[in-house]
Amino acid sequence: MAHTPLTLRGLSVEGVNQCVHCGLCLAYCPTFSELGTEMDSPRGRIFMIKALAEGRMSLTDPAVEHLSLCLDCRACETACPSGVPYGRLIEAAKAEIERQRPGGAVRRAFRWLNFGVLLGHPKMLRAAAAGLRLYQASGLQALVRRSGLVSRLPGTLSAWEALLPSLPRAVDRAPLPAHIPAEGERRGRVALLTGCVQSVVFGAHNRATARILAKNGYELVVPQAQGCCGALNAHGGDHARALSMAKETIGVFEAARADAVVVNTSGCGAHMKAYGALLADDPAWAGRARRFAAGVQDISELLAKAPLRGPLRPAPMTVTYHDPCHVVHGQKIRKEPRQLLAQVPGLTLVELPEADWCCGSAGIYNLTQPEMAARLLARKVGHVESTGAQAVVTANPGCILQIQQGLRERGRDVAVLHLVEILEKAYGG
Amino acid sequence: MATLTADRKRALRTELEGMLGRGAVLSDPDELLVYESDGLTLFRALADFVVFPQSAEHVSAVVKLAHREGLPFVARGAGTGLSGGCLPAEGGIVLSLMRMNRVLEVDYDNQLAVVEPGLVNLHLSWKVGPKGYYYAPDPSSQQACTIGGNIANNSGGPHTLKYGVTTNHVLGLEVVMPDGEIVWLGGKTRESQGYDLIGVFVGSEGTFGIATKIVVRILKKPQAVKTVLAVFDEVDQASAAVSEIIARGLVPAAVEMIDQLTIGAVEDAFGCGYPRDAAAALLVELDGLAIGIETQAERIVAACRDSGAREVRTAKDEAERQLLWKGRKSAFGAYGRVSPAYMVMDGVIPRTRLPYVLRRVNEIVDAHGLRVGNVFHAGDGNLHPNILYDPRKPGEEARVVAAGAEIMKVCAEVGGSISGEHGIGLEKADFMPFIFSAADLALMQRLKHAFNPQGLCNPGKVFPTRKSCGEAGAVAYRPHAIEEQGLAQRF
Amino acid sequence: MQPAVLEKLRSIVGAPHVLTGVDLSPYVVEGRTPEAAVFPGTVDEVRAVVTLAAESEIPVIAWGGGTAAAAGVAAARAGLVLGLTRLDRVVEHEPGDLTATVEAGRTVAALQATLRERGQWLSLDPPDETRATIGGVFAANASGPRRQLYGTARDLLIGLTVVTAEGAVVRGGGKVVKNVAGYDLPKLFVGSYGTLGIIVECTVKLRPRPDDERLVAVSFDRMKDAGATVRALMASDLIPNAIELLDGASLRALTASAPPAPGAGASAALLVGFDGVPDQVAWQVSELGRLVAATGGRDVREVPAETWPRLARAAAAAFPACAVMRLSVLPTQVADAMEQGGELARGRGMASAWSAHAGVGVVTASLALADGRQDLGVVAAVLREWRGIARGCSGFAVLDTAPLAVKEAVGVWDDAGAAGRIMRRIKEELDPKNVLNPGRFVDSI
Repeated sequence: MAHTPLTLRGLSVEGVNQCVHCGLCLAYCPTFSELGTEMDSPRGRIFMIKALAEGRMSLTDPAVEHLSLCLDCRACETACPSGVPYGRLIEAAKAEIERQRPGGAVRRAFRWLNFGVLLGHPKMLRAAAAGLRLYQASGLQALVRRSGLVSRLPGTLSAWEALLPSLPRAVDRAPLPAHIPAEGERRGRVALLTGCVQSVVFGAHNRATARILAKNGYELVVPQAQGCCGALNAHGGDHARALSMAKETIGVFEAARADAVVVNTSGCGAHMKAYGALLADDPAWAGRARRFAAGVQDISELLAKAPLRGPLRPAPMTVTYHDPCHVVHGQKIRKEPRQLLAQVPGLTLVELPEADWCCGSAGIYNLTQPEMAARLLARKVGHVESTGAQAVVTANPGCILQIQQGLRERGRDVAVLHLVEILEKAYGG
Repeated sequence: MATLTADRKRALRTELEGMLGRGAVLSDPDELLVYESDGLTLFRALADFVVFPQSAEHVSAVVKLAHREGLPFVARGAGTGLSGGCLPAEGGIVLSLMRMNRVLEVDYDNQLAVVEPGLVNLHLSWKVGPKGYYYAPDPSSQQACTIGGNIANNSGGPHTLKYGVTTNHVLGLEVVMPDGEIVWLGGKTRESQGYDLIGVFVGSEGTFGIATKIVVRILKKPQAVKTVLAVFDEVDQASAAVSEIIARGLVPAAVEMIDQLTIGAVEDAFGCGYPRDAAAALLVELDGLAIGIETQAERIVAACRDSGAREVRTAKDEAERQLLWKGRKSAFGAYGRVSPAYMVMDGVIPRTRLPYVLRRVNEIVDAHGLRVGNVFHAGDGNLHPNILYDPRKPGEEARVVAAGAEIMKVCAEVGGSISGEHGIGLEKADFMPFIFSAADLALMQRLKHAFNPQGLCNPGKVFPTRKSCGEAGAVAYRPHAIEEQGLAQRF
Repeated sequence: MQPAVLEKLRSIVGAPHVLTGVDLSPYVVEGRTPEAAVFPGTVDEVRAVVTLAAESEIPVIAWGGGTAAAAGVAAARAGLVLGLTRLDRVVEHEPGDLTATVEAGRTVAALQATLRERGQWLSLDPPDETRATIGGVFAANASGPRRQLYGTARDLLIGLTVVTAEGAVVRGGGKVVKNVAGYDLPKLFVGSYGTLGIIVECTVKLRPRPDDERLVAVSFDRMKDAGATVRALMASDLIPNAIELLDGASLRALTASAPPAPGAGASAALLVGFDGVPDQVAWQVSELGRLVAATGGRDVREVPAETWPRLARAAAAAFPACAVMRLSVLPTQVADAMEQGGELARGRGMASAWSAHAGVGVVTASLALADGRQDLGVVAAVLREWRGIARGCSGFAVLDTAPLAVKEAVGVWDDAGAAGRIMRRIKEELDPKNVLNPGRFVDSI
């Protein structure tokens, strides 16, 4: 009997055969820890994906429910001795769910708006942001929150509302210049992914990143034509659009002719590092994608290569560090952010219990699975409180929004900062 | 065993949900499917229900229902077991204890903790670690396996060489008996009165009842730990070094052996620092007082060198030590990098027979055209030959099973045992006559009957089928009164 | 006993190995004389004797060195004493495996002598080593001070052979140090007092003999301080192999029998043992000195090795006649229980002596019955109150030694609760005719 490779609608899930059912992943899976149900564990989901590919099982309601509950945090990959490429497997499964079970008209419209319109078109996203800013600045948001109207919205919508970041003023949402020269001895030329949501909501992070890179001798190019990297689409099962977004991104950054592509949002970084695998079956793109992926670096990875260039001003405060999933599990970056924080004079770093556990943000998970996201957030916030830290440092906008919301709800005055914000402070920013 | 009709199943589901709440009962075949195996995929069985109790009262209510309905039931922890021990009989109820995972109490002064069965083994050590304590039994799956599961299997681990296995660390158990009664065996004091019910319950593989609260000892972390890695060009040298260490009057905390194939897999997985070209390596750990530990380490190093080690080094810091142990403890899972499936054997032999038995294992596996990786508790003589195979290749699974049986026979021949820590479960039930006579098994069966007279609590495990027992039966046996009355079955 | 049965016994083991009449005097327990004592020389003879006794419905009392013969409640019918002292061979000792297999009737001292030749020992130090047999020690779950570090019989017995009530020879466990095949029968038989089967052979786990061992005594003016010291010791890095806590009366008894001994006149003393390589022992002894200086200890001194075997009997040795009760409590409750128990006795005008394996919470209390003039009611009342102390500590108390009348009044065993019902079911399964040591054990098993 010849063995035919296992696929789900053309996407290889052959990786399921690497799972030997040892179960070492179980206790590292946030959903399994919360629910204790095997279907909501990595081992159980791998089993289901295998059963789907083999035709032993079909996408019934429970199967969709359990597969959709996966955060795609990839903590299981860190734990797995067998090297199961779990992230790829679950993305294939989610893509299959979207094909077979696109849901009702409202859900489809919502997805189209998110994945097709907003993420695909930076201008549209900026326009939406302007509207949002108006909603907040006008006092309408405060009114809505007071009115209790939110609690009557359907689950995902109320989660959206609660998460809405305080959007910066238009001036802070302005794009970065296309080129920023290095200060001091030049170390190299790097290109920055400004991110789609990032550039709108957290423009300050990009500016901080740019300043720190310049201080550390990096010449920075910011390709103005860049769009979304497609990570959210891939995680959400929108495989086709994820492919075209990847190709566009590769094209834009190749033209920048930089030594490295620097990313300060974890989901994007992890996804772009996986372009090689994503486009492996496309002969026209496989090689380019592999080369591109090899040049992608998280900001902490790049900066930790050498001691930070001084002078650094003291930042006398106690902080704790939350590992974004797609930094620690997706890119296996654990030491670097801590090394960087340790270089800031006066700063005390307290280790966060379960620092590398998902906070529940997980891309758009907190919108699609608000209940589980809330449980994980409560767990995270509880740990933050136990450290007594004045600020949580992390490295991903989704985590920042999520943890901020959790702390706000508990009435905690604890700041949530991007790693680059702390470093920028140390540089006197 | 009667199959449940759809109507009956619906009614029972409603009743179970009434007891446990919504979201605590699974009966959809798609959801039950993921519960068809534990860590050993060779055996599969589907339950009628998987339920998630949250208290002893919940467990008791479910067990009483099963008792009333004549439905078999079995408790399940993380499902990392390697003998099929937590598989349902075809049909019946699986009680997943994963939602009973709290540490209920820690008493540092008296060095004990009260925990629920679904608590992950390692999480107890995490909990008490900041105060300088730990829970000693450390099965390699300790990052996932539960203490309840450890109770069922009397789990061991690398450090049981010095510190003993699970049974040496349990003081008390709250147990739901197979008729649903909630009973305490032992308590918090070191002694208990009467027969050692804890002693027999621990390791009874879930056939005596379901533990719902567990009182365990926690130990002070040793003042100092020293981890030595000895590298050998020949497996025989490594085997000889194990006996040499013991012969020099040392009792290390752990002596683990890891062979070349396994080293390759764990290096691929985590890059732990084992030399890929070694035929075998020994991981030896000493712990205890800081003073004197150097002297003892020197004796270990000398024993290894005198046995032919080409390199002996000491872990320079805690990080290196942790990495070496991570490699050792992840070894089973890492076989996934070199083979789509493996079957782990769990034989125990007198450690002086190590060189002979390892040679025999290789011969047997070769003869069946298979590959084997060895990673095991050499100090205890507890072997883990892992036979690698591809379940998609016709006939390979059967060859693995045959080779496994031959290896078990070799262990029995040298005066060993067929399981050191994984349990008998379904997998090794038919091997029991290799080491036990019909009379031995009959006495065990009576003991089981005292706890589990209806036989509904985890049926089909531990004891061999009638056929294989008959083959071995050379010892005269007189039927027990209860058998004559038809109350107990002979196997 | 019917002459025909006696004749059969003689034919099984040989006439010289069957005792009757006046020869039975060593086997009289609490005034009850057995019908015969029989000493088989092989396992097969044991099997034949048990089978015969079962058929004839004669109770069988397994007998090793007789050191625990008075434990529990004596059978109403003393039946047949089955002596195991002829089964005394070391079957196998493989130093490289750290295991030995030995027949049940060998004394502990004789076994230790054999093991010592190869630098090893069985890490169990029950009282009366020269009389106590291996089988008896396991059947009675006897232990000594070194259980602090090395555990008890259940931690050391890895395999055994028993003859069942129906005359079957059954093996449990094995001869490897780690084994989970089948149910743990060795555990079932440890401490079963011959009520489930006759242990005829044991396989035990061994340890290398430590290079060095020292026993250190520390005196205290207050029991409370000694208790606090135990707590500090357990929380420290030290790894003592024994932590014995004695009250003033026990200490005086220990001192009287072997001068010079630790701090006479103190109201409590700790005797702490250490073993290992010489460096480790020396360091621990000096650390102990430092530790007790902060907790009110004084007069720290090393005591001779001959003190070891007398430690466990110190409380009982305090009085010419006494009732001895064993209380099981949590380690932190030991000193309080000792103080409280002593006061209760004093309050009723009675003297008592106390000692404990303090680190494991096992307390031995003896109540003086010096001249036999004590009111039985008062004795029973004190012993019941002591049992109350143990229960108050979520433990229990067993009356190890006492005149039959006191045993009957107080009850030897504590209430076994629901677990007792399981024990009873086990007994009924394994010994349905109730032949083995009937009535001796917990819950009238």
